[in-house]
Amino acid sequence: MSEGVTSEIMQIGMQPFMTFVNVESSRAYIDDLYSPDSDKCLESLICIKNSVIGSNRQKESVIAQGIVPRLMQILKDRNLKTNLRLEAAVIIGSLAKGMADHVELLLNCGTIPLLLEILEENEKLLIDVCLCCLRTLALHDKGSLSTTYTLQQLQKLLSFVNPSENIPRQACVATILSCACKGPVEQKALCAAGAPQVLAVMLCMQHIAVRIPTLTCLAAMCYENKEVAAEVANTVYHDVMIPNLLVSLLSRDKPIEMQLEASKCLTNIYRAGALSAFDTIIANRTLPCLVRLCQAEHALPYRIAAAENLGYLTEVDSELQQTAAISNQLIGSLTDLLNSSDTAARRAAFRNNSVDICRAFASLGANDEDIRKRIIETNRLMGRVVEGLGDEDEGIRLAAVRCLHSLSRSVQQLRTTFQDHSVWRPLMSLLTVFATGSPPPELLSAASSALCNLLLEFSPAKEPMLQQGAVQLLATLTTRPEASLRLNGVWALMNLAFQSEQRVKSQILTALGTDQIFRLLADSDTGVLMKTLGLLRNLVSPRAHTDTMMALHGSQVMQAVVLVLEGPHSPDVKEQALCILANIADGERAKDYIMANEDVLKKLTDYMTHPSTRLQTAAIFCIGNLVRRGEAGALERQQRLRDMGVLTILHQLVSTPDSLLFDKVKAAMTQFTDL
Amino acid sequence: MSYTEKHDSTSKEEWMKTLANKEISRTTINKLIMNYLVIEGFKEAAEKFEMESGVKPSVDLNSLNNRIQIRDAIMNGRIQEATALLNQLHPELLDNDRNLYFHLQQLHLIELIRNNRVEEALAFAQSHLSEAGEDDTSILNELERTVALLAFEDPLNSPFGDLLQPAHRQKVVKVASKVNAAILKMEHQIQISPKLSTLLKLILWSQDQLDKKITKYPKMTDLESATIESPK
Repeated sequence: MSEGVTSEIMQIGMQPFMTFVNVESSRAYIDDLYSPDSDKCLESLICIKNSVIGSNRQKESVIAQGIVPRLMQILKDRNLKTNLRLEAAVIIGSLAKGMADHVELLLNCGTIPLLLEILEENEKLLIDVCLCCLRTLALHDKGSLSTTYTLQQLQKLLSFVNPSENIPRQACVATILSCACKGPVEQKALCAAGAPQVLAVMLCMQHIAVRIPTLTCLAAMCYENKEVAAEVANTVYHDVMIPNLLVSLLSRDKPIEMQLEASKCLTNIYRAGALSAFDTIIANRTLPCLVRLCQAEHALPYRIAAAENLGYLTEVDSELQQTAAISNQLIGSLTDLLNSSDTAARRAAFRNNSVDICRAFASLGANDEDIRKRIIETNRLMGRVVEGLGDEDEGIRLAAVRCLHSLSRSVQQLRTTFQDHSVWRPLMSLLTVFATGSPPPELLSAASSALCNLLLEFSPAKEPMLQQGAVQLLATLTTRPEASLRLNGVWALMNLAFQSEQRVKSQILTALGTDQIFRLLADSDTGVLMKTLGLLRNLVSPRAHTDTMMALHGSQVMQAVVLVLEGPHSPDVKEQALCILANIADGERAKDYIMANEDVLKKLTDYMTHPSTRLQTAAIFCIGNLVRRGEAGALERQQRLRDMGVLTILHQLVSTPDSLLFDKVKAAMTQFTDL
Repeated sequence: MSYTEKHDSTSKEEWMKTLANKEISRTTINKLIMNYLVIEGFKEAAEKFEMESGVKPSVDLNSLNNRIQIRDAIMNGRIQEATALLNQLHPELLDNDRNLYFHLQQLHLIELIRNNRVEEALAFAQSHLSEAGEDDTSILNELERTVALLAFEDPLNSPFGDLLQPAHRQKVVKVASKVNAAILKMEHQIQISPKLSTLLKLILWSQDQLDKKITKYPKMTDLESATIESPK
């Protein structure tokens, strides 16, 4: 073994090249790691290093032999020779590139703080290796126990990105800092440490290896943080503001990755509120760049990322949505992205990606009927979305449902395309599966929102869905622990009950059951309560249905109304309850349920003098219905209410300044026959 | 010639004439050659070429030493030495590029088999190579072919003997070149492959485009000898 080994790095001899084959033969090397003889220890370190680099199995093996604490000890000990500490750092860096549990182990034993400490020393090579190692660990440093960097540490890190420093250092620091941006606190801390100015300088460096992580870092800093985004947007370097620096990176001659990251940055700055949607930088530069990156000539991962980002950019602004939708074949290229999942080979890679594309579609279709129409007319999109509903991948199902929800806001589409594709069918089966399993609430929420729209009175899907057991499904939904799901369930039932046939109404009441209705009326979420009252109201109207419904479920409905009227609710809620009473009072025999209930009558008279005119109006409307002339028993009812002082109150209310209330008072009074 | 006139193809003679009239300066050619030598790490050749042609290399030739040392080690079958040097130079490289790591390990395995160190080869394959095939089917395939060599008394004459044949040198050269490119990339060199090979790729791409459009043209059929054939 003497073949012209000349370089100084080879002086350690050939033994370290022997990678150990199994645990037994590695034992000796591991033992030397603990040797007080620094040469032996170094030899052991080099041997371990060459064994673990590139191999997860070897990493696993040495970790199992418990060497991590010893490595940390060597790395920490300033009395040891630098080359020992250097090799220890390299090994830790390599272990950090192993499996998730290796990384977790390193994070849990305080590797990051130790590395940060070493940065304060003055060993150039050691610092380089430690920065690389920090970068690797930072990428995994998530969750509640993740590292919080002090101002001093942040400043130290930023000091490594001076233009005079080497490229790897700058690239490392940019990545470490972007991982550090976990929330508003960290974003602000970075800002306070002067990051915007430093990053602006880095943006102007020619090297792509520095620019890309710098862009990522800026994007992370600005994400949903108004203050920081404003600070970044106003930072100037060489008389140019950061947004303008970023614009220059959007042009076609720049590498795709750079265009993408720069547009992400600008998108985040805009969404955080530091640039307006009308700003030419957003509308005329960022948007077209993203649209262009969605096109077929680019590699799939870039197109996906661009589509997702475009979705985020256009999410809340309908002008931007419109511009995007009429831009250069965008809808075509997005659909093309979805269609590319046809090839089985790409399927795996594509799986997560459909999500983003559907999201982009969902975003585009959010507010504008024309855009929705264009999206739907696009070749085979609806087919894809429907397929997506049945995909085995959860992410795709969610994306497809979201897209469907967005498109289902269109009355016209509900009546045409949705019907042509029988969209309700996969949606129902999706929801039916949910009823038995435990799907993520997000998916359920989007699916049931879409369902709500499909059950609207004019939707042709309503009838077939009823036959497939929609009512039972929705009733189950109202028992979910998540308020948003209960709301969607009741809401859909309310839509369903509106002007529907008697049998549907009975079906709803049977499926829900009295207990569940009372539970919903006591719901902590006001929305759920309101929609439940709306449902009851739809159940007892129109007039033709009132008597039958009350004959079947009268006592429960009355009980429900009393429950709400007695509860500590806002006027909005009580108004709904009074409206139910008014609907009941509209019926023929149904009136008896009110007249026979002393308690309810007492409440009605009380509400006639309530401080809220809305409640007064509703109560008097109900009274008006009760005393309506010419109906069987009208005279008795009038007498009864007169005895309770209702007419006197009405006389007192004639002087009300509220015109709506006045009308109702007048109307009610004219019903009373003078005796 | 008006644009409406339809001409089917350029004849070979015409094309050769055009080529002959196109002047490419010697300095340009020399720079291309120097670029190739520097990128591929042929230090001695670069030094000689500098003396002969007077073209200055774009980088300090001494900076090539590490790459040369590593390439020599690979070419001479000292894979573990090459790996150790590589780990010394860029500790993150092989952890980041597991495919390259596998190819180096595979070369080492072949060396062990070639030298008849069967037991060592088997143990090595188990401890260092098997994991690479776990999630990459193409790697698994290559691995199986290599390990299959162990099953034969005389691996050289086995169905997988090609791995031990001189043709295998091609693979070694390829791996060495990949390692070279990976180092350049790690060192943030903007260019990681010689301009000459880019030019060759450009020829192939252009001819491919022309073929797709079913155009008749004088085609370069052999890159090595630059043979151009008449349109067919």
